[in-house]
Amino acid sequence: MMQAEVSQYEGATRGWIKCRLGSFNLDVEWEVSDNQVLTLFGPSGAGKTTLLKAIAGLIRPQEGHIEIGNRVVYDSDAAIWIPPHRRRTGFLTQNYNLFPHLTVADNIGYGLSGAGPAGRWKKVQALIESFQLNGLENRRPHEISGGQQQRAALARALAPEPDLMLLDEPFSSLDVELRRTLRDELRKSLGKAGVPAILVTHDIEEAISMGDVVQVIENGRVIERGSPLEILGQPGQGRVARLVGVENLLRLRVESRHPQDGTMVCFSPEGPGLQLEAPLSDVEVGQWVTVGIRASDIILADAEPRGSSARNRLPGEVTDIQLRPPGYEITLACRGMALRCHITGTSLNEMAIVRGSKLWAVFKASSCFLVRDEDNSR
Amino acid sequence: MMRNVSAHSLFTSPLGTASTAIYIVFICLPILALVIRALQQDSFLGSLTNEQALLALRLSLLTSGISIVIVVLVGTPFARLLARSDSLPLKVVDQLVELPIILPPVVAGVAMLLAFGRQGILGPFLAQLGISLPFTTAAVIFAQIFVAAPFYVRSAKLGFMSVAREYEEISETLGLSPWRTFLKLTLPMAAPSLFTGVALAWARALSEFGATIMFAGNLTGKTQTMPLAIMTALETSLDTAVALSLMLLLLALLVLGILGVAGRSASRAIRR
Repeated sequence: MMQAEVSQYEGATRGWIKCRLGSFNLDVEWEVSDNQVLTLFGPSGAGKTTLLKAIAGLIRPQEGHIEIGNRVVYDSDAAIWIPPHRRRTGFLTQNYNLFPHLTVADNIGYGLSGAGPAGRWKKVQALIESFQLNGLENRRPHEISGGQQQRAALARALAPEPDLMLLDEPFSSLDVELRRTLRDELRKSLGKAGVPAILVTHDIEEAISMGDVVQVIENGRVIERGSPLEILGQPGQGRVARLVGVENLLRLRVESRHPQDGTMVCFSPEGPGLQLEAPLSDVEVGQWVTVGIRASDIILADAEPRGSSARNRLPGEVTDIQLRPPGYEITLACRGMALRCHITGTSLNEMAIVRGSKLWAVFKASSCFLVRDEDNSR
Repeated sequence: MMRNVSAHSLFTSPLGTASTAIYIVFICLPILALVIRALQQDSFLGSLTNEQALLALRLSLLTSGISIVIVVLVGTPFARLLARSDSLPLKVVDQLVELPIILPPVVAGVAMLLAFGRQGILGPFLAQLGISLPFTTAAVIFAQIFVAAPFYVRSAKLGFMSVAREYEEISETLGLSPWRTFLKLTLPMAAPSLFTGVALAWARALSEFGATIMFAGNLTGKTQTMPLAIMTALETSLDTAVALSLMLLLLALLVLGILGVAGRSASRAIRR
């Protein structure tokens, strides 16, 4: 259990809670270190927003222990409860909730107290400057664009210098283009402010580009924690793989192991017998494994490629072509198994791919990853 | 778009024009008649400045003013509670709040006598304290609060409900205590509805008649408010009744006008 570990670094922000909401049970633990972004990834309804609200103090879990920067703000055993206005968290919500009756400047300065009017004004000016909101000071929230609203809300949340930022799907109401730009901006602002953050998202791209650490949450439980690229790019767990939407999950048997290459050959005992090379693991010869391959890691060629370092070259026939913005998803029947690959519209046209086309699927052994299934008996 | 067009044509049709005309005539004719009659009479100013009229005017302003202050002070936190709670007992209370609106004012007056009168439930207790409510100025205020408060509470409740909980949550995470959040965020955001509520409740208190005459009586300078003075005057001189009626009308318009401007500027501040 994480709550039993003692953190090595200063300013740890962590905790665990158990929370029953009707028939839904939330039972999670988390940890973020200084200047890090922890991403909570999972489908909607997994309990991610509830967790953020519990950390901010907006809901009170039945049991738990919550620390923000080494300050205990909630402990059910010690009967510690710090109310939200003394927790020093910054909450950025999906629709930003800028106060409609206040100007942009008044919104940003809302949480500033003490400093005196002159000090407040100076700080608001500095934030307006750094969030590129110049000229919009006296506008009302509905008079500025979605991206500007997000910046204003972020400036408002950062103004009182919180110890932890809580970001609840902050990009979901923006279009794709703006999302990428603002993502980079948000990372920079958080880094500059030196605030650890917890980001909730169900967008895999967002999880990989924003997070230093990711925790996958499903049905109110953490099912995996680690580096975003490892866990979400090549998910080692069946449930995570399905959440992330790994396109190819193949049930194969280990035929032979090649420690000198760091690979092993796996095959399908049924039908024509698909065979491929995957990274070596400690699975014995003859045992079943699930091999995952991302559709974007497979290259299609119209002839058998010669002089390629890719270990896997499989011939197949196109059985389906689906539009999958920004490109297409091709389903290739390869020796009795369906392989799904992503290509661009330009490639589709240049190679004149139609149903029935004979193509070669090419991918590196390292693009294959083993997926642990909870139930390995199948 | 289609629906807009058809709705528009429906109301510009002869049917719509006719109903609008009938409505306007029905509402405006009596008021116009009152104004014309008042201007025709020679003793208009004399009727307004006689002592009884001035006493009634003063009493009406004083009692309705005190009533409104009490209604706002007690009604605001109560309305806020109603807006945020979904507990069953409070839902029942919520329904009861509207009761005085549908209750005939005369019935309200009788009921108040039975509660606070000498023979009423609290009568002996009040008597021990040396307090006798009926037929006092305080009774006028009681009657006005009873009938006017629901209009304010209902409007204020809707105003508070329109302030999404998320705004208050954000305010708290920004370091403002629930109390400061209420003052700095919730109140300003609900202000337009609060002003509407005050206007409605004040107009109702100013025009209160039935409950007042039952519970407070009709004593000149003590419990005789404008509506009661008009009825009393009607028995002896129509001219005086007309002059007082016009005065009450102007007073109501003034109150509604001031509050309307205040409410509009508050709502403009929110929407802008």
